[in-house]
Amino acid sequence: MMIKRILLAASIYVCALTAGCSTHVVVMSEHPSILIKPLPYKIGLVLNNSFTNYSFTREKDDEKIIISLGDSQTELFKKIFDSMFLEATRFQSKLLAKTGSLDLFVIASVDELQLSLPKETSVNVFEIWIKYKLEIFDQDGSLITEWLVSSYGRTQTRFLKSQERALNQATKAALRDAGAQIIVGLKTVPAIRDWVDKK
Amino acid sequence: MSLSNKINDLLKMASKFLFFLITIILFLISGCSTSTVVDEQKSSNANLNLESEEKIVVMGRRHGNSYETEPNFINCISNNIAGIGKLNVIKEQHFLDKFYPWFEPRVAPLSLKNMKNTLNKPIVIKQVQDLRIRYMVWVDGSTETTKESGSMTCGMAPSGGCFGFKSWDKTSSYEATIWDLKHLIEKGKVKVDSKGSSYLIGIGPPIPLIAQVQGVACEGISDRLRGFFSNK
Repeated sequence: MMIKRILLAASIYVCALTAGCSTHVVVMSEHPSILIKPLPYKIGLVLNNSFTNYSFTREKDDEKIIISLGDSQTELFKKIFDSMFLEATRFQSKLLAKTGSLDLFVIASVDELQLSLPKETSVNVFEIWIKYKLEIFDQDGSLITEWLVSSYGRTQTRFLKSQERALNQATKAALRDAGAQIIVGLKTVPAIRDWVDKK
Repeated sequence: MSLSNKINDLLKMASKFLFFLITIILFLISGCSTSTVVDEQKSSNANLNLESEEKIVVMGRRHGNSYETEPNFINCISNNIAGIGKLNVIKEQHFLDKFYPWFEPRVAPLSLKNMKNTLNKPIVIKQVQDLRIRYMVWVDGSTETTKESGSMTCGMAPSGGCFGFKSWDKTSSYEATIWDLKHLIEKGKVKVDSKGSSYLIGIGPPIPLIAQVQGVACEGISDRLRGFFSNK
């Protein structure tokens, strides 16, 4: 009986310790409306399950950090492409046949996510880097370009209440930066510029 | 020794201790004070005209790698101008959301020439006109801790409080530039440099003596900015 109690107490203690070293951030952010004149094209936007359920996990020095940003980035990409184009239809996977009435077909994926904590750098802020890959196909299904967008976000203040809050703030800033780059930069990608000129 | 002599000695000691304590406190308080230099440059001596419906937006520069102009500093200036100056000020975050993505750190125009390009977009200029934004104040700079010394241990002293002494110096350096969005010209600049030392004394409960370096810089820059405008 005594041993059972000791084991129970020990397991609770271990669980408490393990939970203390784990940070799980579910990024919830409302993205602002986009101030842009839409391009006169109809596009198909592929956001597959690995994008919509995307979660980043890092285990380092007995510390586990999980950042779930699938929902937030899905909302952001939907908002961006709905605003940037005349019409944006969402798909879960790439169509095998020709894209038909669609002018462009965009597949978005997360290529890489990196984070750094204040204790790891001389800069006393939380930082997040997200690299997105946008594969853009034309009406015939031929690849026009593969565009990599590297976004960056950091905490605006050094004194935040918790690590969760800080990582959440840094991730939101990185998402906002990614959105800004895609909106402003898409038309300036040489292959897209050429495609627009030909249209 | 008579009782009155003993009382006199005790009073002398108490007064010496009090004098010593007051000297230390005065020394520390004087150390906490901040020094501020504010400099301004106007394009003309006349006040900037602001119609009753027209608004000002105060924005922080965040394009650099090494620092970001703190949002709380921008809020402080905005509140000071709006509260004491009775001017119409749009909150920075509200402005950024209304104009997303054109004033995000990576995209925001750094010069008037680039601002002209941004305002050449019909959708952007329409938003500026709809919101009646006349002046944009860009604030660039930050507050940094320049020197730290001493140490403090808490929970180790017999009383359970803290023991030790810690001090740090802070320096604020900011420059505000006013753009007139109607005529696309620079209307003036205000520069503020402020520095001060803060102390934390641990004899039991820690006693903080904090120099409000950033707060003083905010007051300094807000005062001068208010002086630029005349509200009709």
